[in-house]
Amino acid sequence: MMNRSILLAGVFWAVPFFSNAQTEAPKATAKAGKIAWHGTWKGGLAEAKRTAKPIMLVSAVPQCHSVPGVW
Amino acid sequence: MDRSFLADKDVISASRKFVCIRLATYENAEENEVLKGFYARGGNLENTVFTLLTPDGKTKLVTAGRSPVWAFGGVNGPGINAQPEESMKKMGQTMEAIALVYPGKGKAAKGFPPLPYLADLRLALNVTAADRQPLIVVYSKSAEQRKKMEQELSKVAWSDQFIGEAQYVPASDASEFKSVKNFKATSGFVVIQPGTFGLTGEVIEVIDAAASAGKLAGPLAEALGKHKPSQLTYDQHRQAGSRAGARWQSATPNTDGLSRRGVGRRPQR
Repeated sequence: MMNRSILLAGVFWAVPFFSNAQTEAPKATAKAGKIAWHGTWKGGLAEAKRTAKPIMLVSAVPQCHSVPGVW
Repeated sequence: MDRSFLADKDVISASRKFVCIRLATYENAEENEVLKGFYARGGNLENTVFTLLTPDGKTKLVTAGRSPVWAFGGVNGPGINAQPEESMKKMGQTMEAIALVYPGKGKAAKGFPPLPYLADLRLALNVTAADRQPLIVVYSKSAEQRKKMEQELSKVAWSDQFIGEAQYVPASDASEFKSVKNFKATSGFVVIQPGTFGLTGEVIEVIDAAASAGKLAGPLAEALGKHKPSQLTYDQHRQAGSRAGARWQSATPNTDGLSRRGVGRRPQR
């Protein structure tokens, strides 16, 4: 775990240098689109373990004052 | 839910290097416990949670909180959906940095990528209405047939053309479609227009269950193109829903704000 933390810290330190390069590079290949969400923890976690990709986890209530159909 | 960070083009681009999981808070007791393990002030689950995790789902890689603001700075309260550029940029950069540490297995990953399913059709109608997206139901009474359908649809769903453009749910019984108009109990890929408030739906198209990936893409694109998203603003939606009597009862009690109201606090000695 400590090794992972050190490695991660090193990458964060280097981010500004990478990001400048990314900002100036053409972004023709980056299609904006929308985020593709897995809708269950079980399904998403299984896919993260299968692919060894990190996880972005979000949770929200699909209602406002009990009116559904809105985040 | 945040409509600023998660709509940023650099964040969306970086999200392709992550497995993105979005849960509906208070709809599943087990998932509630998972969420509380990452963020719960006073031990109470709040309406929204955000964090980034290692691939095993055990370790937080950024500060968890109600939204990306907790990790990347920005605005809470009024203005929450117009976050500063620097905060969104920081989120995209951080995700790219994490992806360097956890690059994934790429093509070495065994098996095929599963469809990013929602839990059930009732919840899926609500979620797709909230996202203003079409819903695709993989419907067959046969588990074996559903598996074949999932494999074919998966090849299409993760393609550049379709990724993030629709949401998915399996169904094995016609009774699950009780709130869906024009449904005929025939196996297939059922493309649905969710009702404005996500309590009902209407079939847009049914594509043959035997269609291979190559024969799915065209009809699917055509069906998704017929989806008509609601044009109501947030406030208009809420007001119209109240007038129409549209009500949603979550599966588990809402515990947001209990700590701040004093409920659930440890008694003072």
